[in-house]
Amino acid sequence: MVRFELKKVFSRFKNKMAVVILCVLMIVVSLLTMNRVYYTDENGNHTSGMQAAKSLREEKNQWRGYVTDKVLKKVLKEREEIYQTKEVLSEENTKEQDKAYAKTQGISSIVEMINTAFSPWRDYDGFAIDRISPEEAARVYERRISNLKEWLDSGEEYFPEGQKEFLIRQYETLETPFYYEYYEGWSALLQNISTFLLMLALIIGFLVSGIFSDEFVTKADSIFFSTKAGRNRAIVSKIKAGFFIVTGFYVVFVMLYTFIVLFALGMEGAGCPIQWDMWRSVYHVTFFEGYLFIVAGGYVGTLFASALAMIVSAAVHSTAAAVIMPFMVLCAFPFLSRIITLPGMCSFFPDQLLDIYNSLKESVLVEIGGKVMDTAGVILPVYLFASGVLFPVLYLIYKRAEVK
Amino acid sequence: MELKFDNLTKEFGNFTAVDHLNLTMTKGVYGLLGVNGAGKTTLMRMLCTLLKPTEGRITCDGKDIFEMDGEYRKVLGYLPQDFGFYPEFTVKDYLLYISTLKGIPPAAARKRVKDMILKVGLSKAANKKMKKLSGGMKRRVGIAQAMLNNPKILVLDEPTAGLDPNERIRFRNLISELSEERLVLLSTHIVSDIEYIANEIWLMKDGKLMHKGRAEELIHSMEENVWECFVEKDLVSSFVKRYKISNMKSEMGGVTLRIISQEKPFENAVQAEPTLEDVFLYYFGEKAGDGNGAV
Ligand SMILES: Nc1ncnc2c1ncn2[C@@H]1O[C@H](COP(=O)(O)OP(=O)(O)OP(=O)(O)O)[C@@H](O)[C@H]1O
Ligand SMILES: [Mg+2]
Repeated sequence: MVRFELKKVFSRFKNKMAVVILCVLMIVVSLLTMNRVYYTDENGNHTSGMQAAKSLREEKNQWRGYVTDKVLKKVLKEREEIYQTKEVLSEENTKEQDKAYAKTQGISSIVEMINTAFSPWRDYDGFAIDRISPEEAARVYERRISNLKEWLDSGEEYFPEGQKEFLIRQYETLETPFYYEYYEGWSALLQNISTFLLMLALIIGFLVSGIFSDEFVTKADSIFFSTKAGRNRAIVSKIKAGFFIVTGFYVVFVMLYTFIVLFALGMEGAGCPIQWDMWRSVYHVTFFEGYLFIVAGGYVGTLFASALAMIVSAAVHSTAAAVIMPFMVLCAFPFLSRIITLPGMCSFFPDQLLDIYNSLKESVLVEIGGKVMDTAGVILPVYLFASGVLFPVLYLIYKRAEVK
Repeated sequence: MELKFDNLTKEFGNFTAVDHLNLTMTKGVYGLLGVNGAGKTTLMRMLCTLLKPTEGRITCDGKDIFEMDGEYRKVLGYLPQDFGFYPEFTVKDYLLYISTLKGIPPAAARKRVKDMILKVGLSKAANKKMKKLSGGMKRRVGIAQAMLNNPKILVLDEPTAGLDPNERIRFRNLISELSEERLVLLSTHIVSDIEYIANEIWLMKDGKLMHKGRAEELIHSMEENVWECFVEKDLVSSFVKRYKISNMKSEMGGVTLRIISQEKPFENAVQAEPTLEDVFLYYFGEKAGDGNGAV
């Protein structure tokens, strides 16, 4: 019976079109993602894309390993040697500077980390590294913690005591030194994945929005509901079809996108801490774990939005009304927040599930029952549970449907 | 098997579409006759568990059909008056799908679908998409799906609507053939559809049952007479205003009218043998000048 439900969905022209559009979007986003990796060759020319990734990979992987104080000191020395030439010091000569940069690409991320650590909080001073001694550079990890403490003490932003403690504890317990290797493939993947997941969620919502209402729209309802299974097993089949579409499409397209990007840009770096990209993150996760968290959030968001779409579809008997639901749930709030300042409660709205990337980067903390947590960690199980509740509700609504 | 309507009522807002019906059906063909808006479809929808009654209940061998749920619908076949299909499904796919909904095991379903396609004469169209079928073909698919589970209760809502005369006769014969050994409720506003095949005819108006019985019984229940007379064309309109006219036939120099009236309407009118058509008009007809309807 599920087979027929799926057949109904995918025999519709508009749904076939939606799948085609999804494939096109995936290719476009993949291409855009691939061009997020840049490389500067020895002549100072900039390139991006697969070839750039390959070259950068070679440079960076020469420095593969844990970034200990010894490595940090070495980085500082290396950089000094490259930049101390006469050509580079003449500031007008940008070409020479680009050439010099080309030589430091292998350590670029380490340099950036040092710069960040010695810049004011939430600021980036690209020359900070020039002002510090190798001994200071070696204390970069401690600097991360002391910066936080300073900033918390400055009172620039208000944090309750519990949250302060939580932040400091998270910073202090982060495992150092960081492991370093080429990670730009993962980094690029994560930067664009939220956009891709949102598009995927909306199209999946579109696909499932007709499963329940189309019986009414096509007037097939009177026969459907007068059959033996029409008010029980057939509804379960519809729910299953919806679930399979959500899960199947999500898994397949996320995997495709991931493989395309990582195949083009390189798989390594999965085990590097996310702090390479998100210095202030409170999460103790690697790029791969961060990726799983983002993808899981996206799945729950997609499932929740699709379940709502199906409920509207079953209750209002209109596919058009159902299609709007995922947009409302996943797009309306981020859109509104650009026009008006929304209250803090909004970080609990389901649109946040598709933007776990930003939660990893800048967590919004809450205290629940004396325990401090990041909102992303709260909403994920909450909406997973909510989706679980929506399905039985959907069943009951459809079971009681009348044909008028 | 005994189906029983017990004070069955359906209201839409403060409009009563079906009004306290008390009826019992056993085996045989029941013809439900009524004008547009009489409540036929509403009654049938309740019988097929598509609408919940506002008041009263329907029982099948003493059990409420809504409580019986799938057990009841297992023995039900329904051809709605106005219905749609999944446009991209082929006839065969569609029938296989409905078989699944009706709980027929796959192997049996395939055989049954094949048989039904033959029976309703759709062999050539079996692999055509539903959206490419003509109105008559769609009705045949409709009848085929209703019969898939060999239902003990068959509900047909205006099965012959929109069919050409040939199709209509073929359909009538098909229905009469299918109606053996089961309970069939068939609605129509075309008298000839059920005149010969119904064991019992129900006349329905404004949600109420006006009369029921075999065709002859209904004809005898008429308290007025039927007259035929030949009048000049100019006089026709005055007759139409005064009497219920069940038929009009233009001829050279005038019109032959069939009039339903207690007394003789015209000098040289002759009394005629009443038919079911006349009964229909007698109960449901309006004089052209009478907005509120007669009876
Ligand atoms: N869903 C509804 N909401 C409000 N009124 C309705 C609804 N369905 C039917 N009605 C009204 O109930 C009355 C009976 O309708 P029904 O369709 O049962 O008549 P019918 O005898 O089948 O007519 P027809 O011969 O035209 O098919 C009509 O006046 C109709 O307007
Ligand atoms: Mg009707």
